[in-house]
Amino acid sequence: MNERPESYEAAVERLEEIIDRLDSGQAGLRETLDLCKEGKTLVTFCAAELDEVGEGLKELQLDDLAAKLDAAPEVG
Amino acid sequence: MRRLPGPFPVGRYAKTLRDELRKRARVLLIGEVTNLRHSPKQSYFEIRDGEGAVPCTIWADELARLRLPEGALRDGAEVIVAGGPDYFPGSSTSSPDFSFRVTHLRLAGEGDLIARLEALRKQLRSEGLFELQKQLRRPRLPRTIGVVTAESGAARRDLLAGLARRGWEGTVIWAFAPVQDRRAAPAIAMAIQDLAARPEVEAIVVTRGGGSLADLWAFCDETLCRTVAMLRVPVVSAVGHERDSTLIDDVAAVACSTPTHAAEAAVPLDCLAARQSLERCALALRRAGEGAIGSRSRHLGALARGPARALQRERGKLNQKIREIRASSERGVADRAASQRRIGTVVLERARRRAAGADMEKRRESLHRVAVTLRAHEPERTLERGYALVEGGTAEPVTSAAAAAAAGEVKLRFADGRVRARTEGDVERET
Repeated sequence: MNERPESYEAAVERLEEIIDRLDSGQAGLRETLDLCKEGKTLVTFCAAELDEVGEGLKELQLDDLAAKLDAAPEVG
Repeated sequence: MRRLPGPFPVGRYAKTLRDELRKRARVLLIGEVTNLRHSPKQSYFEIRDGEGAVPCTIWADELARLRLPEGALRDGAEVIVAGGPDYFPGSSTSSPDFSFRVTHLRLAGEGDLIARLEALRKQLRSEGLFELQKQLRRPRLPRTIGVVTAESGAARRDLLAGLARRGWEGTVIWAFAPVQDRRAAPAIAMAIQDLAARPEVEAIVVTRGGGSLADLWAFCDETLCRTVAMLRVPVVSAVGHERDSTLIDDVAAVACSTPTHAAEAAVPLDCLAARQSLERCALALRRAGEGAIGSRSRHLGALARGPARALQRERGKLNQKIREIRASSERGVADRAASQRRIGTVVLERARRRAAGADMEKRRESLHRVAVTLRAHEPERTLERGYALVEGGTAEPVTSAAAAAAAGEVKLRFADGRVRARTEGDVERET
């Protein structure tokens, strides 16, 4: 699983699989290193996802967004 | 057109129409009072629900006879009216008018609303509308959620508190709407649709505080509930309290009893716990990686040191062997030397004994002859024959005439003793 996870849930699910596999002690050296590398990528992804919702609550109003949309010039 | 009856005078037709309508059966209608106004003779209002409305009139004296509590008949009140259709044909100067002539009116009770609610619930369930939202995937960590609620109210505050407790600080798009009157259901439905149209919105919360079923009636609106059911964005409803059950709870993806719970349903992931869990995962991965390398490198190290260690061990053994061999060798040489010495001694002794046995007699005889010969040459034997030995002062032999002359005094040794003698004159040489 080298591509970017499709969601936080998918990343966490895969991460749990990796930890279980590593905990089993059945992975060889190459597999262990590959799993660790993949796991670190997933941890980084999940941390970034958490950061996205951890830097201060943003409150918007639908009416304001609609007004901005109406005020925006038409493209083309 | 020629085949149609008439033409009739319109006034006569209008009166006929009135008479036909008045023949219709009297019925009960339930709906919300709107646009209430009074005149001295009559009161006018509409009763309305999500699908339509009917204009109503009631004579002032009939309304007075109902003895309704002061202010009970008001805009927004849920009422049940009895009556039938009527039509005012108008006149040459007044406009015609259709209305539902109300002969009796009462406020809708909880029981009426529940009966209506159950009928609608049965209908929506039979259409499978309760399941559609529940089949939608709800993201555990949405970045943006939409919230439909009243602008002022405890629900908004409680929802924010719930989100804060989750450690979630994403984006909330507020869609403020009335939550309790006839305008509420259409406004809420429109807000939900507008939020769902925004691609960033991953979940929608619809919430308001508790109240009577009449207060919450907007959330039982059929159109609103059908809108929610068909939405492709999951809706979390938190309307009223635990005991309140509105129709939107049935069609929503998740129904919650409080706005706080709605926050947890909209953001299923506890971000604070997730961060801690993630740190544990990162630690486990680091340990697994380091452990895999460490244990194997130790193993490899041990393997790498193995030959050297084995060599060292063998070298030690070899040195030990060498020491043992050397010691053994030295002991062997010494033993052999001693042994050989012993053997030599024994051999020599044996040889000596062998030799001694045969030659002893001859040797004894030879020795005797030698002894006899030696005795014959002893000076004493010569002195016994009459010779004398001249000795100096220190008993050394004087072997020349010159020495004797020089000594002046000498001793003459005979076989039986010595006598002193004096030399005189010069040496007389033998001719």
